[in-house]
Amino acid sequence: MIPMRPELLKGHLDALLLAVLEPRPQHGYAVIEALRDGSGGALAVPTGTVYPALHRLERAGLIASDWETVGGRRRRSYHLTPAGRAALNEQRVVWEQFSAAVTALLVGPARPAMT
Amino acid sequence: MNATRPMPALTAYLSDVATNLSGPRRRRERILAELRDGLDHAVDHHTAAGLPEDRAVATAIDEFGRPRIVADAFAAELAVAHARHTVAWYIATGPLVGIWWLLLLNPRPWHTGVLALLAAIPVVPLIVVAIGTAAGTFATTGRLMRWLPEAGPRRALAAPITVAALALVGDLIVLVLYGRSALPVWPLGTIAVTTSLIRMVCGITTVRRAFALRRRIAAAHL
Repeated sequence: MIPMRPELLKGHLDALLLAVLEPRPQHGYAVIEALRDGSGGALAVPTGTVYPALHRLERAGLIASDWETVGGRRRRSYHLTPAGRAALNEQRVVWEQFSAAVTALLVGPARPAMT
Repeated sequence: MNATRPMPALTAYLSDVATNLSGPRRRRERILAELRDGLDHAVDHHTAAGLPEDRAVATAIDEFGRPRIVADAFAAELAVAHARHTVAWYIATGPLVGIWWLLLLNPRPWHTGVLALLAAIPVVPLIVVAIGTAAGTFATTGRLMRWLPEAGPRRALAAPITVAALALVGDLIVLVLYGRSALPVWPLGTIAVTTSLIRMVCGITTVRRAFALRRRIAAAHL
């Protein structure tokens, strides 16, 4: 697999984080693991990028966090807000349009199958 | 899952991160607590994969990155948090300073109309600009940034500098006016002058901190 440069994620990280948090609340490191595992290892986002991005999304009201103590550890768990769910749906539509346009340019129009 | 274990390498690593973090103390403490939890998870992950604890710790630290780089990644968020906290502080404490000057300049404010009340405050235009700056900052760095252009850390830090400068100018104006007047010294005059002087000292500290954070942002190439 060709490694992806972190810059490629710019502009898409918010949507990816929202998507990772959609099924259930998760703490920061679990989010990093989910991004890596969910993309088959292609999206190894630097740790230093994920935590501040989560904080920014919380500031924007798209996610919220709760502190809890689990097994003697203080842990911050993030979950989607209704506004975050709406933003994720919007981002999915935008991505479909964007990826279709980029695919059309990079790969070219669908060619008829050769017989 | 293990409870937080006393791992000196992790403690030293987080101490290095802490040295490079600048911003509101509570926010920094939360960042460090969250990083500690993440590092503990990473160590658990690597020990479960078969690494001995010392190597698991080293691998977790490598995974998180150099302390300076991790701290730099938080610089923008901390700068915005500082800007919001400082502007909120000025808006919250403004009336605590202003009320003494109002009572001094217009001893019976409840007996006059709103216009006469406003006319008694010589720095109304500065207050209006400060409130407008604060509102704009909250809107473009908070929940409304989903619809408005988001303010980056540099623009956000311009807000506390502006508000502190406006407060400094406002305090200087009322102090000069008071010095030239025959208004009573005790008790209202003394209280009003003291609150303004305290705010002026806070203003100088605020401006210095905001410029230090701007330099930090520039150094982090954000």
